[in-house]
Amino acid sequence: MLLYKTRLYGYLLTACIAGYIWLYYNISQTSSGSHSIQVCPIKKTTSIPCPSCGSTRAVVALMKGEILESFYINPLGILVALIMLIIPFWILIDLTTKRKSLFDFYFQIETFLKKPKVAASLLLLVVINWIWNIAKGL
Amino acid sequence: MDAQKVDMFILTNGKFFESHQLVQIRERLLQIDESKWVAIQTLQFKDPTTSLIVSLLGGSLGIDRFMIGDTGLGVGKLLTCGGLGIWAIIDWFLIMGDTREKNMAVLQQVLY
Repeated sequence: MLLYKTRLYGYLLTACIAGYIWLYYNISQTSSGSHSIQVCPIKKTTSIPCPSCGSTRAVVALMKGEILESFYINPLGILVALIMLIIPFWILIDLTTKRKSLFDFYFQIETFLKKPKVAASLLLLVVINWIWNIAKGL
Repeated sequence: MDAQKVDMFILTNGKFFESHQLVQIRERLLQIDESKWVAIQTLQFKDPTTSLIVSLLGGSLGIDRFMIGDTGLGVGKLLTCGGLGIWAIIDWFLIMGDTREKNMAVLQQVLY
């Protein structure tokens, strides 16, 4: 699947919409008192949380304005929230002005992430976050 | 290029490409100059079966996507627990085809 502009934007928009639906579902579930269902396949099979477990809770905490608590639950949640906030607007701006700045930016980020030093340091961060997740027992 | 060499390339590397691409690859290889043979021989292709195994084991961490070079999608999968587990399952079926597409892109850089 080589990424073309429309395809990439389609994927990103679908992911964002799915994210918002999931968030809405989660908030309505937790506010009615019942526990939300767990979907993480790693946690289901091994009962060990994965590196991004708890990011939904982190985003929900962020929406309530508790930045520190959201950071404590899972720092990746802040990153997810940022992406979900920015991407739809960026796509909208690109579509109205008929440019492809997000498309170019995506490939710039990809080549940046492929640099061994960057990749190794980010991998280390993810592993540290994973260990922290296991220690917290999310 | 020599038909014998082309057929040898198709035989040894056929599994790395989609079947419908093989005819096009063969025709193009027959047309191009002999001097590109060394460059084509040294190309590294990724095995679709390997990426399927990686996808089955580490799909919800996005490792399969990182492996075939889709770093952006890999980050997306990593951040969302493999798209809440759904994307990870969808990718079990997509990853082999995507690996072949990536191999085709690598070959095309030399062919055209």
